Amino acid sequence: MALSITQACIGCFACKEVCPKNAVTVAEQGFMIVEHRCDECRSNTNGPQCGQICPVETAITDNQGRALNPPGSLSGIPQKSHVIAMTK
Amino acid sequence: MKLDKMTDGKQPDSSQLKADTQAALVATHPCFSKEGHQYARIHLPVAPACNIQCNYCNRKFDCSNETRPGVVSKLLSPAMAARRFVKVKQHVPETKVVGIAGPGDPLANPKATIASLKAIAAADPDVHLCISTNGLALIEHLDKLLEVGVKHLTITINCIDAEIGKNIYPWVYFNQQRLRGRAAAQALIDQQLLGLEAAINAGMLVKVNTVLIPGINDHHIESLAIELGRYGAFIHNIMPLISDPAHGTYFGLMGQREPSSEMLGAAREKAGQSMQQMTHCQQCRADAVGKLGQDIDINSLENVEPALPPHIRVAVASKSNLLVDQHFGYATEFQHYLITENSIQAEANFSWQQYCGGDEQCNDDKANRDLNQLAHFDLLLCSRIGLAPRQELEDLGLQVDTHYALRDISDALRQIQQQMQSEQSNQHHLLVANAANAGCGGKECS
Ligand code: SF4
Ligand code: SF4
Ligand code: SF4
Repeated sequence: MALSITQACIGCFACKEVCPKNAVTVAEQGFMIVEHRCDECRSNTNGPQCGQICPVETAITDNQGRALNPPGSLSGIPQKSHVIAMTK
Repeated sequence: MKLDKMTDGKQPDSSQLKADTQAALVATHPCFSKEGHQYARIHLPVAPACNIQCNYCNRKFDCSNETRPGVVSKLLSPAMAARRFVKVKQHVPETKVVGIAGPGDPLANPKATIASLKAIAAADPDVHLCISTNGLALIEHLDKLLEVGVKHLTITINCIDAEIGKNIYPWVYFNQQRLRGRAAAQALIDQQLLGLEAAINAGMLVKVNTVLIPGINDHHIESLAIELGRYGAFIHNIMPLISDPAHGTYFGLMGQREPSSEMLGAAREKAGQSMQQMTHCQQCRADAVGKLGQDIDINSLENVEPALPPHIRVAVASKSNLLVDQHFGYATEFQHYLITENSIQAEANFSWQQYCGGDEQCNDDKANRDLNQLAHFDLLLCSRIGLAPRQELEDLGLQVDTHYALRDISDALRQIQQQMQSEQSNQHHLLVANAANAGCGGKECS
């Protein structure tokens, strides 16, 4: 039960600022979520705080690899590749 | 709600600031007064996170509220920021103003912002501290800002109508959730106006930045300026939208046009009837240094041999007094060393209240010691340390190193000194490389 940070992360520290469990850490390879600390913000009705503030699509995923903020969900910029993927 | 409150006949309340204090605040600040040009300012990039998204911003780059997009500045820790300030001040003694403007929003990074401001105020009590914010978290942090001595504030307010705002801000993180559309814009505008009012009442000199976006807020500039005037904002800085598609912003990619200089002039003229206009803004980058319009190349500065040799203050946790062999949580004192390029000097031990029992995980709730007391160190050597105190120390700008666990202290110090010597030359290369990439638009607003 923990979220993960992907290569899409731009290292902006926003998730680290808002994580109530202090679960986000900066390792040599980049930002990551310490598994045993993250409880996916279960007690917060608004859901994972990192996912709520992260400005980058696909940077945070659940344990199934699904992006909390999928392509197109934040910027509103039309995602050509996304459209193609959906119509396939 | 906010707007209702404004219609009850509230008068601008600038009398709250004694005229002469205000004049002094204005005269030496290069952004608030044209005469302030002879004084220099430095922007310190310590605040990467942001709590909103603006359509003219690509978060891969610096905050474009106060900065020109296109350059990712090297992030500084609070301790590094204070050191950079001291270094710049040595070379440019006219440096009177220190601003924190990003690269995200200073108040979305309150710990780093406040720690930096404190460290700078300690280094030079006469310096003007200012921050530029989107205003969302201003109310929440205003007391802290006043406490550390911030007297100049810039808030970017692009509109006071949520119908307009929803086309500028795709989302706002407020009350632990990402708001979108009208609700997002309304939350932001409410908080901005609350913050504006409170800051002015507290005696701060408030500049308001507005990004002029043709077809979106250009028709609204006049009524915005009237409201700002009623609140008692000090000066208004209307900045042209920069929407070069190469910056990858929403506006840039969607073909939103930039205002012509005639449009900008017209907007300033209309707004000028209710708000003093600022016409000398250069839209500086979050890491700008120097006098307006003649930025000093920070890279060349960093390469110059500083008057004081660079130094590292090291705290060592040691049981045996010979080896780096103590868990941070057990330490009741730290050995204290000052390392410069050609000396390693032992200073008086630093006594300390034990942080915790030193369990493996160093629980958060046990973390009740004030780690701020350690903030004057640059580097902490210990055998182990819990994740929570490590992070907190790093937020304070301390580097924590456990690689020297069980090694001889004097060996460790010597190795750090060697690293420091080679870093000096490495940093040189890195900064030169960065400078070569720093191709910001170079667009000026007047
Ligand atoms: S889900 Fe919650 S606890 Fe887990 S990393 Fe994100 S903010 Fe932290
Ligand atoms: S908020 Fe998103 S982009 Fe920013 S550091 Fe966290 S995961 Fe990376
Ligand atoms: S406030 Fe600044 S950093 Fe945040 S989204 Fe807007 S322009 Fe970007």
